[in-house]
Amino acid sequence: MMSDRLRAFSGQIIAVGVALLLGAIIILLVGESPVRVLMTLLRGAFGDQEKIAGTLLQTTPILICGVAACIGLRGGMFNVGIEGQLFLGGFAAAWVGFTFSLPAGIHMLAALALAIVAGAAWVAIPAFFRARYNTNEVVSTILSNYIAVLLTSYFTIFLFKRPGGWSETPPILATAYLPEIFSFSRLNWGLVIGLLLAVGVALVFRYTSWGYGVTMVGSAPKFAEYGGVNVKRQGFVVLLLSGAVGGLAGGVETLGVHHRFMEGFAPGFGFDGLIAALLANGSPVATIVTALFFGALRSGSLLLEVDTSASREIITVIQALIILSVSAQVLIKRRGDSQAGERRWKF
Amino acid sequence: MSNAPGSPTLHSTAAMAVELTGITKRFGTFIANDGIDLAVRQGEIHAIIGENGAGKTTLMNILFGLLQPDEGSIRLNGEATVVADPAAAIKAGLGMVHQHFKLVPSLSVADNVFLGMEIRRHGLIDHAAQIARTQELSKRFGLHVDATERVGLLSVGIEQRIEILKVLVRGARTIILDEPTAVLTPQESRELFQTLRSFVAEGMTVIFISHHLEEVMEVSDTVTVLRNGRKVATRQTSELSKDELVRMMVGREVSFDRRPRAALHGDIVLDVKDLWARDDRRLPAVRGASFAVRSGEVVGIAGVAGNGQTELAEVLSGLRPASHGEAWLKGQDLTTLSPAAIREAGLAHVPGDRMVRGVDRNASIAANTLMGRQHRAPWSHNGLLDWKAIAGNAGALIKSFDIRAQGAGDAVKRLSGGNIQKVVLAREFTNGADFLLVDQPTRGVDIGAQEAIHDEIMRQRAAGRAILLISVQLDELAALADRILVMFNGRIMGEVAGDDADEDRIGMMMAGVSPQLEPA
Repeated sequence: MMSDRLRAFSGQIIAVGVALLLGAIIILLVGESPVRVLMTLLRGAFGDQEKIAGTLLQTTPILICGVAACIGLRGGMFNVGIEGQLFLGGFAAAWVGFTFSLPAGIHMLAALALAIVAGAAWVAIPAFFRARYNTNEVVSTILSNYIAVLLTSYFTIFLFKRPGGWSETPPILATAYLPEIFSFSRLNWGLVIGLLLAVGVALVFRYTSWGYGVTMVGSAPKFAEYGGVNVKRQGFVVLLLSGAVGGLAGGVETLGVHHRFMEGFAPGFGFDGLIAALLANGSPVATIVTALFFGALRSGSLLLEVDTSASREIITVIQALIILSVSAQVLIKRRGDSQAGERRWKF
Repeated sequence: MSNAPGSPTLHSTAAMAVELTGITKRFGTFIANDGIDLAVRQGEIHAIIGENGAGKTTLMNILFGLLQPDEGSIRLNGEATVVADPAAAIKAGLGMVHQHFKLVPSLSVADNVFLGMEIRRHGLIDHAAQIARTQELSKRFGLHVDATERVGLLSVGIEQRIEILKVLVRGARTIILDEPTAVLTPQESRELFQTLRSFVAEGMTVIFISHHLEEVMEVSDTVTVLRNGRKVATRQTSELSKDELVRMMVGREVSFDRRPRAALHGDIVLDVKDLWARDDRRLPAVRGASFAVRSGEVVGIAGVAGNGQTELAEVLSGLRPASHGEAWLKGQDLTTLSPAAIREAGLAHVPGDRMVRGVDRNASIAANTLMGRQHRAPWSHNGLLDWKAIAGNAGALIKSFDIRAQGAGDAVKRLSGGNIQKVVLAREFTNGADFLLVDQPTRGVDIGAQEAIHDEIMRQRAAGRAILLISVQLDELAALADRILVMFNGRIMGEVAGDDADEDRIGMMMAGVSPQLEPA
């Protein structure tokens, strides 16, 4: 059993190894020492308690977005629109935060609830076309990202702009804040939400009848159909839930970190989450580890330009290399497994 | 091998394009090809016919270098050749049109045809020359393809012609077509046959894989029949009648003993009335089937594969809509219900497409035994699964169905074909359904497992279940069925009692000849 699981992740481990190796070569090419870059990254990510908290702060949205992606992947749906759902969720939470005044706690929950609804509503459009007309959800969710990002920009700049210079909404009321965990960091209860969500989703997939059906839709759709699972409906539901969690990620980021919505408030977290989920083989619990990895890369990179001659962008390069090697690995693996393989080749 | 009269004479008349000698290919313990000899003369259309799993495609993949034989040798145009890979096959003048096309939808016809061997001029692709050459070939063989059109906009029939063109420009003199008519409409099939005739008129050789009798009778000069991985015979088509061909395909050598049984006259459980359905090409595949299955009765459906049996099973299990007609199961019309509701109404289904429909190969035995009952106690309570109960039950099923596995946690893909089928049976036969739809239960399964599966089906009969047994193996039907219905071209041609299953009569009906009306 354990060896099966290890084998399932061996490809991923190789993929990350290859990416890091190529990254090291690139660092050498720009005339910097890979060892020094690595040490700086580690120091930047885990050097002291503030740095660790900073890493966990970066990890939180990646983790929640990763769980969103896992939900989709489990049901055979590639939700590439998490970035857009995150932006709309973030805006929706901010709107509740600065428009209404409610008791502490309730205000926060109401803001998160609307963030969830916003994320689900946003993915409902591609999900509907997928269920009704079998359009490829990969393409439609990618495209919906651009609309979401620009739509929230429009809201921010033209409808709700805070008087003054920045492209941001008014601040939310303190009653809607996600409380911080430590005094020395902005790290907040969002991390706990993410961890509970990851474990909770894993349990739902493993221990509910519904989760079983969805898992089968993802891994053997014809078998699920034969067994009486409504494949189209579950695909729709799974995308909706995935979008809801994507929206939640935005809400958590707004209420926990920024306390307002601003243009470009959380760039790339949605995509990082998707990669973290792929790297975790679609397992929410393993996503905790991979999200931490990407969070550490992001937070460690802050020190990079201060202490070394390497640009912070080297981290983006390494991430891109990981994406390449992970997707190559996924494709190679799926080629043997014709059913899933054909589905993936149809892009 | 045994009954091939006249074969020596037909070997000597012309040079041989292809000679395969003693080809054997094993996959694990399964023998796909067992010492097959095949000789194809230059300039003939040579059909290779046999049921699904008879070894036709394996043999052709060996000839084309996609598989290497474990034993045996290949001679092409009289020369001993080792076909190491498809590139070597193409070099030797072979070409193969596969069942699944490999075309680039965004490219033009001509670009697809020349993909990988582009005509170049000053280092650039000479589109004009490619188009001209494609048009010329298309015209010469009556393929009617516009070389400039984009492949994504074309029908499946045209796509096949493009595959044929690809083979032609690569200089093939011997063309292998694997079930070419499976995706074609009857009109397109006739046009394809015209094309094949024009090939042989130019001295080329055609090898044509099929399981459709009419086609083989219509278009081929010579037929080789394969069954269970062995060659039955090679005959001149003109010397053959359709029902002789059927008998060679389904065979009568291996025969199971008829299972003893007590007469049971139960109530009607399944009542099918004038059922019609279309296949994936939107052509009628089931045409007005009417029959009933009683409790404690095994009703067999015989027929050459592809005569509507698959579609019938799919309609009864809710996986394909009926276009007309009714199918009543205990007071509910199945044609109006979803697959889940049909299961609820009392269907258990052993699907013919076991690996795709019957199991999730990557999941454990326990998870596979859960399908269809994940919402039912004792496996789940209030939507929560009880994995202990599920695994415990799977362990019990492994014992009672004699599934050779280490435990309920084993992934299904680690099991042999026969044991995978036992997992499916164990799940379906224990879910309390009154009607069992059993499709090709022993296809690709070893003899020992076949016996066990047959025993299980008879136990279900004794328990009063109504069983519809679809099989292309006549001996299986003769061993198990109380009545045998013969399907041909979507219709039920007639019925014979199981205990006097006369192979000649069944064979005639399978070939599409109506039986004389006899008093029942």
